[in-house]
Amino acid sequence: MKIKKSYLEILAFLAVYLFAVYMWTLPFQDNKIPYGEFDAISHWEIADSFAQMDKTYVYLPPFIDYSYGTDNRFKPHTLWYHPPFHTDLAMISAFFNDRMVPIYLTNAIFASSILISVFFVIRKLFGFLPALLSEFMLTFSMRDIWPYLWGQWPERFAYAFIPLILYCFYMYFTTYSKENSKPIYLYIMAILLAINMMIHPLAIFHSLVGIFVLGIFLIIKLRKIPFNLKHIGIALIFFIILFAIFPYQTGNIFKTFTREQSTESKPTFSRLFKWSFNPEDYAGSVPAGYFSFKEMHGLWTLPFLLIGILALAIRRQNRDLFLLAWLVSLYLVLHRDIIGKTELLHRSLSATAHIFVPITVLSLFIIISFIKIPKIYKLFFKYGVAVLIVALTLAYNMPLAYSTLNEAYDSPIIRLNAEQIEVSEWLKDNIDENQNVSIIGPPAQIMQKVWWMASYSHRVSLFFEGFMTWKIFEENREEVVKYHLLNDYIVVDYSDISLLSDRSFVEQWQEFEKQNLANHTLLYNKDNIRVYKYEP
Amino acid sequence: MSLSKEDLKLIGIIAAIVLIFFYIILGFSGMLSALGIILIFIVPVYYILDNFELDTDEKLVFAFFISAGIFPSISYWLGTLISFKLAILITFVILLVIGFLIGKFKKK
Repeated sequence: MKIKKSYLEILAFLAVYLFAVYMWTLPFQDNKIPYGEFDAISHWEIADSFAQMDKTYVYLPPFIDYSYGTDNRFKPHTLWYHPPFHTDLAMISAFFNDRMVPIYLTNAIFASSILISVFFVIRKLFGFLPALLSEFMLTFSMRDIWPYLWGQWPERFAYAFIPLILYCFYMYFTTYSKENSKPIYLYIMAILLAINMMIHPLAIFHSLVGIFVLGIFLIIKLRKIPFNLKHIGIALIFFIILFAIFPYQTGNIFKTFTREQSTESKPTFSRLFKWSFNPEDYAGSVPAGYFSFKEMHGLWTLPFLLIGILALAIRRQNRDLFLLAWLVSLYLVLHRDIIGKTELLHRSLSATAHIFVPITVLSLFIIISFIKIPKIYKLFFKYGVAVLIVALTLAYNMPLAYSTLNEAYDSPIIRLNAEQIEVSEWLKDNIDENQNVSIIGPPAQIMQKVWWMASYSHRVSLFFEGFMTWKIFEENREEVVKYHLLNDYIVVDYSDISLLSDRSFVEQWQEFEKQNLANHTLLYNKDNIRVYKYEP
Repeated sequence: MSLSKEDLKLIGIIAAIVLIFFYIILGFSGMLSALGIILIFIVPVYYILDNFELDTDEKLVFAFFISAGIFPSISYWLGTLISFKLAILITFVILLVIGFLIGKFKKK
């Protein structure tokens, strides 16, 4: 039986993609409990609340409003991001009795969709093998994996739109003539641009700068300006309709990106010669390795990347200009601090692999195309190069990516335990959403758990944090306890006792419980967790 | 677009591989989630794009990314008024009807 070449290509793409999804889902294959930093909590809780409540909302429910009520600067107390991303996750979760896997899997597919869009664009412009190798290398991109694990979920997905938007623009531009053109690409570009903004506003700036640079490159190269009022008018209508669907969130983008930004240090001239930033400026929030080319891309890729840029610049075919424009636009976006725009600056760095990887891969193929040798040798070299790239990627990029994903949040201190999930579910089902819940127990080292419990229970209050460790109440603790906890539900959680090295906390909590809660109604008492109704 | 018998076989094989794969790594809810992702994020918008002169791979990829914005936008607003689950089902039908109507309009 003869199998079509296109079928084999699809199966090869699928094999690499499923391998990537296998890697990216490692953090929740064996441990199906939500994880991530505060960003992840916010994204999960919005999606989960849509699915669990079986309704969507304009105004935030109390447990989200408590933390994010002012994040929408245009219309406080509403969603600060456009709703589609979280609704996407919620749609997959809504029909299941599982609050974790549907949301995390959908997010993993979204985050890894950069592999799909880069594969698609490179295959269309440069052929199957460079596309497959780019897809393979991106599987291990630490600049993508880290933000994905930390919880910058919408941003990861939004970056995957950029190559597609540029591709649509490129197709419209290069096929345009007065007699014949393909406006469908311009319409799809407009729709993708609007959706790009809805998924994450930062990415639309990347896309717009990309279109601008690619437009200039193509105008110079092709000496034509595709201007058709009808096409542009229809594309604009598509864009404006989608742009206007969520006015509160679109308003928030304008408010956020037009506000005055105070920068402590002014960028120096030398910044123009650097892609990355000074890790010390982000100490405590982003690990230094994130700013290192060696750690993120692998030093072995650098010569190939430089050769690739040079080769593309020498050859300058239309498709080469596509990649160069994408690269130049990323450079411009990464240097927006020069004009005083520092909002989410280091986040833009996480888009570097998407263009560095295809150029790295293509460098070798372009070099082979320059060499004048018989076709059979070229073919031999081509596959030899493919094997070389795979081998280098497996040797240098895969180990860190695999260990990072495999060991991510792999600690009982970071993820909720079964008892905490059970009590959170109990709170969700048994108390009103406007009631305050205070958790007494977790010390600062496992404070993240309290936030996850708040998300899981859909209940939160001013005190739903490690109350006993809050220094601000040290002086008037007695008074706070007496008046402020009135009518609260108090959760006393000893379920992590065995994990704590500092036993003094436990004694402190036990003393607190004995003194303050003994005379109040005990509602829940299971697995070292107790819930009291604190009432007169 | 009419799919050949061979194409349908390939789609069947791919669907089976994908579902089995997700069942193995994430269990039953992983498998059903993957099925949901295919149904929601590809099928309806692919049906709309199928009315235009695009390559099959373009339709597939664009369908996925466009669906991620259009489908939830409709579901979200409907979900503020009615049950979210019902809103998802209605959105699915709305998009299929749009695809059907565009096809009819283009034939005329």
